[in-house]
Amino acid sequence: MSNVDSRQFGDLATQLVQESRRSTLTDTLLKYNDSLVRTVLREQRALEALITAAIAASPDQTTFAPSLLLHQTALLRNKRCLLAYHAHRLDRLRDMYWSLGGALPALLSDASLRARLAPAEVDFLRAYNTALLDFRGAFSAELDITAGITTPPRDLHVLVRVVRECGVVQTELGAIDFKGGQRYMVRRADVEHLIVQGYLEEV
Amino acid sequence: MAGPSFVPRAHDIYPDDVPMAAPNFFDVPADESPLQQLIRHWMNERHSPDILPGQEDVLGGLLDHIRRQSNTVHLLRSDPDSSEEEHFRIMLAQTEIERVKFVVRSYIRTRLYKIEKYARYIANTPEVQERLSQAELNHAQTFANLTEDHFNISVLQALPEHQRGLDDQTPFTPPMIPEPDKSRAVFVHALDDCPPVRLPDGTTLRIQKGQIVLTPYAVVEQLLGIGSVELV
Repeated sequence: MSNVDSRQFGDLATQLVQESRRSTLTDTLLKYNDSLVRTVLREQRALEALITAAIAASPDQTTFAPSLLLHQTALLRNKRCLLAYHAHRLDRLRDMYWSLGGALPALLSDASLRARLAPAEVDFLRAYNTALLDFRGAFSAELDITAGITTPPRDLHVLVRVVRECGVVQTELGAIDFKGGQRYMVRRADVEHLIVQGYLEEV
Repeated sequence: MAGPSFVPRAHDIYPDDVPMAAPNFFDVPADESPLQQLIRHWMNERHSPDILPGQEDVLGGLLDHIRRQSNTVHLLRSDPDSSEEEHFRIMLAQTEIERVKFVVRSYIRTRLYKIEKYARYIANTPEVQERLSQAELNHAQTFANLTEDHFNISVLQALPEHQRGLDDQTPFTPPMIPEPDKSRAVFVHALDDCPPVRLPDGTTLRIQKGQIVLTPYAVVEQLLGIGSVELV
């Protein structure tokens, strides 16, 4: 534990939590800090060993060295920090998922995002997507619950500009071929998901 | 040949259509339309820290209504006899459908947000489970398992055996299973004269009809349950 003399128990875990804070403040998802997580996990095992040794060293099993309390506190705190770090990342991932209107392939095909995720987090997103498909199924006949809920619709139709080409889209008024740079007047409900995913932009 | 006008035709197809009136927030509605009811529940849900009982009947009724109206609109649009003025009305009806859908969607999503936030608490608390629909309950359980699995894979399995609990009761640290914070302050608008409620400091508060009061949520939880107040 003492490769750096000035380091205290819990310093590393604090770094993890600070990363989460930074991530919230800058509204970005930072790269999964695998090495730091591993180091904290190693610290946990070292603390565990210290505690076990302290308990074994106690002559009558009722009085313990005062350092035991310190080690135990550090141990419990580290664990909470580890979990908080992971829980915070899951929250952010879910936010991103919803901000794209639940389009998992679009989210996972983003290479720069993919590089910042731990493999377990990709699995989580996939499982979450499956769970939500079940939930959405209950309403699919009437409405799509993944569409935007920030501003209520004012008009039926919306003027959109094509940001990224997305090919031929079937709408209630027939098929529309969205070409890059062009503007179209379309029914909002038909293209809502394309706006959310960033293919079209409201003018 | 001239067909019958828009309104009777619409009524012939679905005679049980309920008119969707604009919401009227600060009067006590004698007979609320389903949409007004949902808007009230939606506002309550958005302002309450806890998950409120799901309004499955109101929601189901409105979803049916949306589906019927969409079908009617579709039928009338493709009817060549519809006049210019009727098309204008159809457009209004469609816009209204979209706006109702927005409220429904926001209501569902608000509940979903809280359900995911407190999924592990819900999974352990049968009393809250009663307030959820079957689909919501399933999702809460799935989501609770998902997060616990993720914690296990990423953190806990690398720790010694007895550090792997996910509900440690440690003094001086917040609980590991987050619960709704019922002491959060909410604005309450009384729809009726309310029976007295006890404030945390022991005094009693009697809210009169029409008053707006700022109190902790726990104080008015019961009143909200019987519908004599709404959150604003």
